Amino acid sequence: MTVKECKVQLEYTPDLVSVPITYRLARDLGLEINILKAAIDENGGKMILFLKGEERIVAEGLRSLEKARVRVKPLGDYVVKDDARCIDCGGCVSLCPMSAYVMSLDDYKVRLDQSKCVACGMCIDSCPRGAIALNQ
Amino acid sequence: MLVTKSYEEINSKIEKGEAVVLTAEEVIHVVEEMGVEKAAKEIDVVTTGTFGAMCSSGAFINFGHSEPPIKMQKVWLNDVPAYTGLAAVDAYIGATEVREYGGISYGGAHVIEDLVAGKDVALRAKAYGTDCYPLKDIQTSINLTNVNQAYLYNPRNMYQNYAVATNSSEKTLHTYMGKLLPRNGNATYCSAGQLSPLLNDPQLRTIGLGTKIFLGGGVGYVTWEGTQYKTNVKTVNDVPAGAARCLAVSGDLRGMDPEFVKALYFPQYGTSLGLGIGVPIPILDEQVLKATCIRDDQIFAPVLDYAEQSRARKPVKLVNYQELRSGAIDINGKEVRTSGLSSYSKARTIAGKLKSWIEKGEFGLTKPVACFPAEQVQKTLEIREVKK
Ligand code: SF4
Ligand code: SF4
Repeated sequence: MTVKECKVQLEYTPDLVSVPITYRLARDLGLEINILKAAIDENGGKMILFLKGEERIVAEGLRSLEKARVRVKPLGDYVVKDDARCIDCGGCVSLCPMSAYVMSLDDYKVRLDQSKCVACGMCIDSCPRGAIALNQ
Repeated sequence: MLVTKSYEEINSKIEKGEAVVLTAEEVIHVVEEMGVEKAAKEIDVVTTGTFGAMCSSGAFINFGHSEPPIKMQKVWLNDVPAYTGLAAVDAYIGATEVREYGGISYGGAHVIEDLVAGKDVALRAKAYGTDCYPLKDIQTSINLTNVNQAYLYNPRNMYQNYAVATNSSEKTLHTYMGKLLPRNGNATYCSAGQLSPLLNDPQLRTIGLGTKIFLGGGVGYVTWEGTQYKTNVKTVNDVPAGAARCLAVSGDLRGMDPEFVKALYFPQYGTSLGLGIGVPIPILDEQVLKATCIRDDQIFAPVLDYAEQSRARKPVKLVNYQELRSGAIDINGKEVRTSGLSSYSKARTIAGKLKSWIEKGEFGLTKPVACFPAEQVQKTLEIREVKK
């Protein structure tokens, strides 16, 4: 059995807002899910999910979402850190709610762990070197 | 027997390539193992380093005379105003001066960074025209190779220690200590701690007027006491637990390395210069050596609440640099995450570079020409009645 972890962005039309899509993934397929971000407006809903489970089941879950007319996009890197501009000051470290920026206590360099990022945007205007930017 | 060494003895060892040099991090372990007495005989120099936002920085530039000549009463470098109340074609570009148009994210610090990086900078000047300086307007471009002089003169750098910033209010604050999240959401600090130059020689026994230093990757000198230099600060473990001494430094922009001269922009606050400085400490005796063994867990800084907009903020508590560097401190029972604003990794690189310069005999030590005040109080500005 291969375990797969992934982050996906879901987009769905207003009529699907009342459907408990994430609940089904957990109950029917037994996937481990974590809702990183959820927003609803007049255009429908948008959600960022962290999924973990057997590779086959994760794929099945994503297919079932698509069948239910949910648009599924794998979430790439939301922010990028330009290491050539970064001076390892650590300014960003305490601002990220997910502790995605980590200052190593060995070499005192700051690294961004993309797997922890939930695309909140808090870090964007925190870097005095302009080393952090949205990944366009 | 007390060990004593003179500057001359240390320098002659440096010249012969025989000096024993350690960084302020390395010395801690060596002295722990060897003991102070033996180590004081062995070690000749301890190198320190710091890299952080040094707002009180700027550069004097002499542009040379145009044909016909101009007095340059007003000067802009890449649209950032420079001060010109000096002799003709001299100007001072300050790191925190921001450009006149196009927002506060580009300032004097960026002009200095561009110059050190070897880039061309646009020069615009205006004057009222005199019999000896007839020209009234000029537009041209300059770089480090075509100006006469370009040197940093920074009135207040290398603070001995600095307070930690946090924010108890309900809204985010944008300060020179970075973004401070509401309800003590984070805390920021700004010192290289155990690597910091003035914490390794807290009474400034070996650092004074004329001390040769590593400045921005090149060579510089200590040129005066820093503005706001003060000594009446509470000490813990013989080092000030808060901002105390600081120094004025100067050095040629030519020969500096872009790696250690970096413009900074704090959103909604403005610009500052990220600058690397390293100071060598000659191990004249055991006392000097002992002071260089200070560790992060022995250096304390007060936590100040920036929600209180007053010069007389009462410290919330004292914390040490080991706690600060661990990533979180405790404030009123809450775990508050910390961010350093000074780069410890760069501070290490600087102490290491300076060490290798000295080991190779490329960098000799200087005995201070004069010492800075042993006691000095910082005055405040009162709002007084203006007598006509
Ligand atoms: S705030 Fe910017 S310069 Fe400082 S560590 Fe983070 S990314 Fe690097
Ligand atoms: S976008 Fe948010 S979660 Fe992602 S790294 Fe920045 S602060 Fe952290």
